[in-house]
Amino acid sequence: MSGTYNYTVVRQFAVMTIVWGLVGMLVGVVIAAQLTWPVLNFDVPWLSYGRLRPLHTNAVIFAFGGSALFATSYYVVQRTCHVRLFCDRLAAFTFWGWQAVIVLAAVTLPLGITQGKEYAELEWPIDLLIAVVWIAYAVVFIGTIARRRVRHIYVANWFFAAFILAVALLHVVNSAVIPVGLWKSYPLYAGVQDAMVQWWYGHNAVGFFLTAGFLGIMYYFVPKQAGRPIYSYRLSVVHFWSLVFTYMWAGPHHLHYTALPDWAQSLGMVMSVILLAPSWGGMINGIMTLSGAWEKLRTDPVLRFLIVSVSFYGMSTFEGPMMSIKTVNALSHYTDWTIGHVHSGALGWVAFVSIGAMYYLVPRLFGRELHSLKLVEVHFWISTVGIVLYITSMWVAGIMQGLMWRAVNDDGTLTYSFIESVEAMHPFYIIRFLGGALFLAGMAVMAWNLWKSVRGARTSEAAIPAPAH
Amino acid sequence: MSLRHAVGLLSRPKAEWGAIRERRYAVARSFVTHTAVLALIPAIAGYVGTTRTGWRIGAGAAVRLTEESASRIAILSYLAMLAATFAVAWAIHWMSRTYGARQPYGQCYALATWTATPLFLVGVVQLQPILWMNLLVGLPVLAYTVYLFYLGVPLMMEIPEERGFLFSSAVLAFGLVALVALLALTVLLWSSGFGPSFTY
Repeated sequence: MSGTYNYTVVRQFAVMTIVWGLVGMLVGVVIAAQLTWPVLNFDVPWLSYGRLRPLHTNAVIFAFGGSALFATSYYVVQRTCHVRLFCDRLAAFTFWGWQAVIVLAAVTLPLGITQGKEYAELEWPIDLLIAVVWIAYAVVFIGTIARRRVRHIYVANWFFAAFILAVALLHVVNSAVIPVGLWKSYPLYAGVQDAMVQWWYGHNAVGFFLTAGFLGIMYYFVPKQAGRPIYSYRLSVVHFWSLVFTYMWAGPHHLHYTALPDWAQSLGMVMSVILLAPSWGGMINGIMTLSGAWEKLRTDPVLRFLIVSVSFYGMSTFEGPMMSIKTVNALSHYTDWTIGHVHSGALGWVAFVSIGAMYYLVPRLFGRELHSLKLVEVHFWISTVGIVLYITSMWVAGIMQGLMWRAVNDDGTLTYSFIESVEAMHPFYIIRFLGGALFLAGMAVMAWNLWKSVRGARTSEAAIPAPAH
Repeated sequence: MSLRHAVGLLSRPKAEWGAIRERRYAVARSFVTHTAVLALIPAIAGYVGTTRTGWRIGAGAAVRLTEESASRIAILSYLAMLAATFAVAWAIHWMSRTYGARQPYGQCYALATWTATPLFLVGVVQLQPILWMNLLVGLPVLAYTVYLFYLGVPLMMEIPEERGFLFSSAVLAFGLVALVALLALTVLLWSSGFGPSFTY
């Protein structure tokens, strides 16, 4: 029953994680610059902010984050099940299919072809391709679990499986449209129902794509890098089920003070606040696992990425429930506070834990050592400074916007025109641009470091060890 | 005496942390000679800045706070700063066992309050309440404060440096969470009638 693991597909996805990370974050820096200096739109439609912004979100979430999830889930499920990935050809199809989706997105979004739903912009032919690739992904992943040679299913695989199944469900329901041409369609749902379906999808994209999947990464790579078992396995199982149950209900907080019925808004708010508990279960497990590995810090800068990522996970999952409280949301909604919140999760948690996983994974997949630990440390510090600049500027900008928009004179007229609030944002947008540019520079350092590590290396194959029990 | 430590933490932080550790200050002593004094700087500067100088948005006239509103905010923020030092000290004390430190609460409090020295001092920029300029001045100072903290934790808690890194990160995460909580609380208070009142 021996043989080797399928590292080919893991390697492909790992390399594309770095490539799409660079591309997606570069687009992010470009649009941050456009918000600061609008002249950079150049009056070219496909270079304009409105078209590049969905390109940025799709590239960082689905291309960078997606590739990281494919790579790590395929790696983890094989290693923890002691079995080769189910069906090499189907796995290869998920790689090429997913890359095709990304390329199609990169072409259609700048052309202005969009469904206009946030994080679900791609038109129906691409949505169909996504559905096919995703179902293939589910078959490969669950097929591998079914063939496992270890009785127990490790908790990371539970998180990955939940993420894959939930995203399939969300994508299919939210993408239900009536096509009126090859590149134009209308949603099946009308009015506020469409909005509710969209944000049920949207928030669970955060909850399952950007949280459950990356918790799967945490539960494998944190104990591995720390060289010790999870602090509490029981806690990991408890917070898995509570997280999966609670996230599904939190979507309405995106629609506070809209036409959505008030009870649905309140329900969304209550569920969002409850969500704090399962989220922190994950954070406590991560931090306590890492806490025992302090003697390794001297020699292992990768651990720093993981520590900070778990801390940011804790911070942003606390901030989220706070912002979902209706009274707070009345001020924070539609302001840059939201943008700051998203990026403390996206840069601090999702990107950092992915970066940690890639530093672990890439050298092993090519049978090499990391080229330079010093550069990992450089990467860590410039990206941390970048995140801090980003978040603090958006906090201040967001609260300032919220206050300016709601300020009224004694006679009831608005104190500020909208454009005055835009003008007041300029300095903060410069700081945000700098923060983003630093984070991108960190990614470039990482790409160079990993390139130096694996250059000229032959691909590495690993024999499947016999299970211990 | 308080000021000597403050200057020392800016010029030769490592030695100064050592000196603070050896003094083994009681909580009351640190509080009276340091926290209560230095926290006055941002509170008073903020009051003067928002009532006398004011700020401009776009081409509009200068916006100021009424004296009543500004004094209420100054007192509340003064109390919040005092409370924050105790909260952080409590977090340090609470977590210390996990990270193998066994220091009395007094040492934890000294660590918390002397770490905040640069932040208290930079509060003086609020005399000129231009938000983005204050942010620009504040960020490097904040960075130095974080550095001071990472330096101070292993020294004050008498634990190895690597362990100190984890300890500091955990406290920092706690601090971030507390900050966000404060932010949300402020917004809640503003929305329920305790908001600042402006004059133009």
